[in-house]
Amino acid sequence: MPDFARAQVRRQRANFALFLGPALVLLACFFVAPVIVDVVLAFTDMDRTLAVTQLTLENFERMATRDSRLIASLGLTAIFVLSTLSIFNVTFALLLAIVTTAVPKALGAFFQAAWLLPRMSPSVVYALLWLWVVDPNERGLLNQILVHVLGMAPVDLRGNQPLLVIILANGFIGASLGMIIFTSAIRSIPEHLFHAARADGAGSLAIVRHIVLPALRWPISYMTIHQTLSLLVSFEYILLITGGGPFYDTTVFSLYAYRRAFENGQYAYGAALSLILIVIGVVAALGMWRLMDMRRLLQPPRIEVH
Amino acid sequence: MRVDTLETPIAVPAWRGWQSLARRARLRRLGNQSALVAFLLIVSMPIILPYFWMVVISFTARSGGVSTDVLWTACAVVIPAVLIYSVVHLMIPVKTVRVLAAIVLAVIGATALASLVGDKLHWLNYRFLWRANIIEEIRTKATAGGQFPSVWIAFRNSLALAVSQTLIILAVASLAGYYISRFAFRGREAVLQGMLVLHAFPAMTLIIPLFLILHWVGLLDTILGVMLVLATIELPFYVFVMKGFFDAVPWDIEMSAMTDGATRRQAFRLVVLPQVRVGLIAVAVFAFIRAWEEYIFVRTMLIENKNWVMSLYLFWVSDDIMGVDYGIVAAVCVFYVLPSLLLYVFCQKYLTQMTIGGIRG
Repeated sequence: MPDFARAQVRRQRANFALFLGPALVLLACFFVAPVIVDVVLAFTDMDRTLAVTQLTLENFERMATRDSRLIASLGLTAIFVLSTLSIFNVTFALLLAIVTTAVPKALGAFFQAAWLLPRMSPSVVYALLWLWVVDPNERGLLNQILVHVLGMAPVDLRGNQPLLVIILANGFIGASLGMIIFTSAIRSIPEHLFHAARADGAGSLAIVRHIVLPALRWPISYMTIHQTLSLLVSFEYILLITGGGPFYDTTVFSLYAYRRAFENGQYAYGAALSLILIVIGVVAALGMWRLMDMRRLLQPPRIEVH
Repeated sequence: MRVDTLETPIAVPAWRGWQSLARRARLRRLGNQSALVAFLLIVSMPIILPYFWMVVISFTARSGGVSTDVLWTACAVVIPAVLIYSVVHLMIPVKTVRVLAAIVLAVIGATALASLVGDKLHWLNYRFLWRANIIEEIRTKATAGGQFPSVWIAFRNSLALAVSQTLIILAVASLAGYYISRFAFRGREAVLQGMLVLHAFPAMTLIIPLFLILHWVGLLDTILGVMLVLATIELPFYVFVMKGFFDAVPWDIEMSAMTDGATRRQAFRLVVLPQVRVGLIAVAVFAFIRAWEEYIFVRTMLIENKNWVMSLYLFWVSDDIMGVDYGIVAAVCVFYVLPSLLLYVFCQKYLTQMTIGGIRG
């Protein structure tokens, strides 16, 4: 091999290590390795002592046959994800996007900013505000309105309707992401389509039905997959607001895995439970990149010199 | 038919007809728009009211219970002001009038608030900022001395975590983003597809193995360990964001830099990097806020109170004195929210530039 060719190969390798190396090392250590660790861990008996004594299928046996709480948490997860998604993350987000784009721009921006507040503030703060709102005392914001304005008896939502509270708390945040994405999709509809429809005598509802909704078909399907996945795996607000309780009443599947590992010290069992979520995550991730614009992302570069 | 009547001498009544038609259309439009604004106001109340309450009690509550008189008084002033401004905004399209109305309403509102609740405002709830043992003072019995670090320790830890994580992400993501945007190399498609899968993959599911890995390498309960984890799990997203910004830089400037004798690395450092300044700022702001607000991972991986970050400090403060002193909890909330909120507001024009695969992040 001539000298300049060898130098070129060396430079290519050096560039690879310099530019891509740091990212690949980090991803290997803290992203790929954890997946492998989790798979191995699922077949062990690691407990609070963090020691592994044997390889076993016991975790999967327990999941399949002996864990009645697991079945309850799966049912709860289904209710939680489906109702939050259908009521807030898609439908209400759509409603917000349509209404805030229909009013004058400054007012629309004001209300969008208000809806973004929960997303912009730290989760601990947002959860604390919910605790204040549903405080079972007469001090709670909700109870003040119920008692002083409507003259009703104070209610304890967190104790009696915990599922409703976590659906509302997650929904109010979920609605804002859909709102932003749907809004930018509505704003990118050519203005003349609206004028043409008006000139043809279409009312507001007809415009929504025949112009806005068809333009949103792709964002809606993307949001549905994306939000299903994120609702399925995230338990941050549930942990902060109800702690999964009372008892196990709001412990969705992902929180169940977390509590088994970090509350009961059953790390191996928690890892086995997480394995199910990991498989779902990989499948959904593969499904999602089919929806993305792959050809543009994979477009080859134009300079071959290193 | 109409055209005929317009051209005849008796066009005046017809012309009036147009006027009234236009007036009616305007009125109907105003009615529709008011209905929409009213709808938005009602559905937004559950969000606006708690945040407003948080700010109000942080400035008014005293030890013991919490009085909400001030909240409702303030609402009675603010809500009519907002409503009046909305009507003005809907009816008058002239900018100077709108600004004038806003100023007048703000002055009236501020005066009304000052006269109604001005004497109830105080800074006492913010005394946690300069008195180190405030939590112990409030709960002498239940809390041992020194259990709560000063808020400034938590603040410093949060800042260290967020800044170092941001710097790592900036360096690693811009290098990798540039490489996969501009270089041809073997396995490029595999790297891109692998990274896309990692980007969509929910890292929250890996919290148990991540905890164990940090434990095994001795980084559990250190800011460094959490920083590496947080930087990595968000990395694929930032790599794609940076790739998007590099893709948008024209090839010509790089070509001309190289015909002038620059190497690829020099072209990257001196010519291309300055072109993606907006992208770097957007990534930095976003990464900083994410680390500043993180809860689950720090909760799981940081234990000792000298390592507490702001989210843990707030959590334990609220856990300890929630029923006793709402005012201090609210004040800590405001102190904690303010930096990220200000960053959002002032850097919004950069953040909206972030796109990935056609989806805004």
